[in-house]
Amino acid sequence: MNPLESLRLSWRSIRGHKLRSALTTLGIVIGIAAVIAFVTLGASLQAGIIGDISPDDRRNVYGWAADPDTEGGPLAGAQPVFTPDDLDSVASQPDVAAAYGYATIQTQAISNGNETVAQGNGLIATGPSYIREGRLAEGRQFERGDREAVVNPAAANQFEENVTIGDELTVTILGGERTTLEVVGITDTSEGQSPFEGFESSPRVYVPTDPYYVEQAAGLGIGGGSDGSGNDTGAGSENGTGTGDARFLAIIIEADSAAQSDIDAARESATAYLESEQSDASELLGDDLAVTFQTSTELLQQLQDVLALLRNFIVGIAAISLLVGSIGIANIMLVSVTERTREIGIMKAVGAQNRDVLGLFLTEAVILGVIGAILGTGLGLLGGYLGAQYIDLPLVYPLEYVALAIGVGVLVGILAGLYPAWRAARTDPIDALRYE
Amino acid sequence: MARETAVALENVRKTYRIGEPVHALDGVSLAVPRGSYTAIMGPSGSGKSTLMNLVGCLDTPTAGEVVVGGRPVGELEDRERTRLRGTEVGFVFQTFNLMPRLNALENVALPQLFQGIDRAERRERARDLLERVGLGDRAEHLPNELSGGQRQRVALARALVNDPAIVLADEPSGNLDTDTEADILDLFDEFHAAGTTMLVVTHERHVADRADRIVHLLDGTIERIEDLERGNDGGSAVDPGRGTETTPDADADSETGSPTGRREADSE
Repeated sequence: MNPLESLRLSWRSIRGHKLRSALTTLGIVIGIAAVIAFVTLGASLQAGIIGDISPDDRRNVYGWAADPDTEGGPLAGAQPVFTPDDLDSVASQPDVAAAYGYATIQTQAISNGNETVAQGNGLIATGPSYIREGRLAEGRQFERGDREAVVNPAAANQFEENVTIGDELTVTILGGERTTLEVVGITDTSEGQSPFEGFESSPRVYVPTDPYYVEQAAGLGIGGGSDGSGNDTGAGSENGTGTGDARFLAIIIEADSAAQSDIDAARESATAYLESEQSDASELLGDDLAVTFQTSTELLQQLQDVLALLRNFIVGIAAISLLVGSIGIANIMLVSVTERTREIGIMKAVGAQNRDVLGLFLTEAVILGVIGAILGTGLGLLGGYLGAQYIDLPLVYPLEYVALAIGVGVLVGILAGLYPAWRAARTDPIDALRYE
Repeated sequence: MARETAVALENVRKTYRIGEPVHALDGVSLAVPRGSYTAIMGPSGSGKSTLMNLVGCLDTPTAGEVVVGGRPVGELEDRERTRLRGTEVGFVFQTFNLMPRLNALENVALPQLFQGIDRAERRERARDLLERVGLGDRAEHLPNELSGGQRQRVALARALVNDPAIVLADEPSGNLDTDTEADILDLFDEFHAAGTTMLVVTHERHVADRADRIVHLLDGTIERIEDLERGNDGGSAVDPGRGTETTPDADADSETGSPTGRREADSE
């Protein structure tokens, strides 16, 4: 009997028991839907995280000095070791397009005219190109040596009267000192510009390291710029070498391009310089302090690993539900074989071969499996879509999983149908015809 | 009439082991010529069903030889035996045994489906046979939309679809009322007259009377063979004899009378 005929006959008997077939299929639908939905959500979540790394961020390499055994995210256990001279020298290394320091300056408040708003980690002192041209909604980058700042929309809009280009803000540094800055640019997003800041939205004011951080360091005797990762003060007083020799907690270098080879080259030449005798940082580096350079992508890898683990875990649970679904198919097929014993007898009496009967029942199980897989895929994609909408993620459909789901549906059908179909095939026609 | 043999049993023995061995058939020899009409009679347990199963290639003999369509059933592999059953044997059952979810046409075409004959050809052949059993207008009906007599006609059409060496009917009218029974048996006569070999198992005398000869089984052996062949020596000579034979079967009166008359008219 040709497969098309099997299909026709099997489809007929599935339609003969609509409710039963539907309920049987439901087990597979739920299993596949769960797998697809979670895989879609996982992929979307991953894409969302990677999407947070802006394209111009991809050539940046973030460095800090910490005990090599320290675990954690960016700046974990970081010590201020990089002097401005180091930064200049790193910038002139081959394969390094630019290098600048990064530090946060703790503040008490920011005032715009008469209006004052309390703000903690308000100032981010760094190099001009930290804020890329493409990220500026208005104005320009700040310049080194000038009392200028770029603010993000959250910072600009926190005053009753929004901050605009050219406004002068007064910042009260932790300790009561006041300094002024002129707003020269506003960024397009309130999210962080690099993993050092974190990616969440909050008011941020970006200023040049010189003069702000340098002054700050001079005031405290050393790089007092702190992001709260601790130890700065102790390290600072120990390592203090006087005015103008501020040490930075972090360094950002730019590779020539986002290509992995360029990034590796930049990282190597910067590390080589910093670890060599020529650098100021090397005085402090040793067994318990080493420079770490990582890209945003690498920094996020850990998070992604956790996500992948979580996803696999959920998919594992969903796979168990798929197994339960396939047992459902096997069960219903066994009932069906018993119920249709007489029909099997008739078919065999009129010349059906064992393989014809086997084929019919197997086809039926596979149809149930495939229908379940298709419906489950649809439902899963819908679920993934709704979930992604709800969490506000970019939707990514892992198409290879959809193909896999259909494949699993067929496989489940075959596995679940094999034994019942075999039982049907070896039914003795004499007994079957006598069966009531 | 061509005396080529459609089915031959040669000293056939079938033994079942249910605790002690039971000889369902114990040395049965019988030749069923092509184009003949044979009835098998006997009480319950006489071996009728076993004989049916053997001739129908559903079972194999313990000893002896069963030849169907020229091929020894006992020596065939399961697959070959199934094929032989599909092409050389047509079954008509007491309980009709139609596929409930297939319509009349599809039921008739079913044996050809398993022979791999293509759909269009199958349907044409099935439609043709349905016309011949008088159900041309019921082709799309499901079995549960048909009366008992109509179902048995469908079953007969199905039995004939592969043009088998023999049609095996097991109590074909057992589930039918007398009028419908007569219609079906007339139809049997019609196909027999057209050359189909018929083997009918029954315990009702008036059904068996339609045959050329009646094989009486008792305890697994042939008790006697009663020859009702009328074709050669004329109907009138046989009719009274049959009348007396029929009497013990109580109600075998006018119903059997008229169809028999018609059958004889056909055969002459």
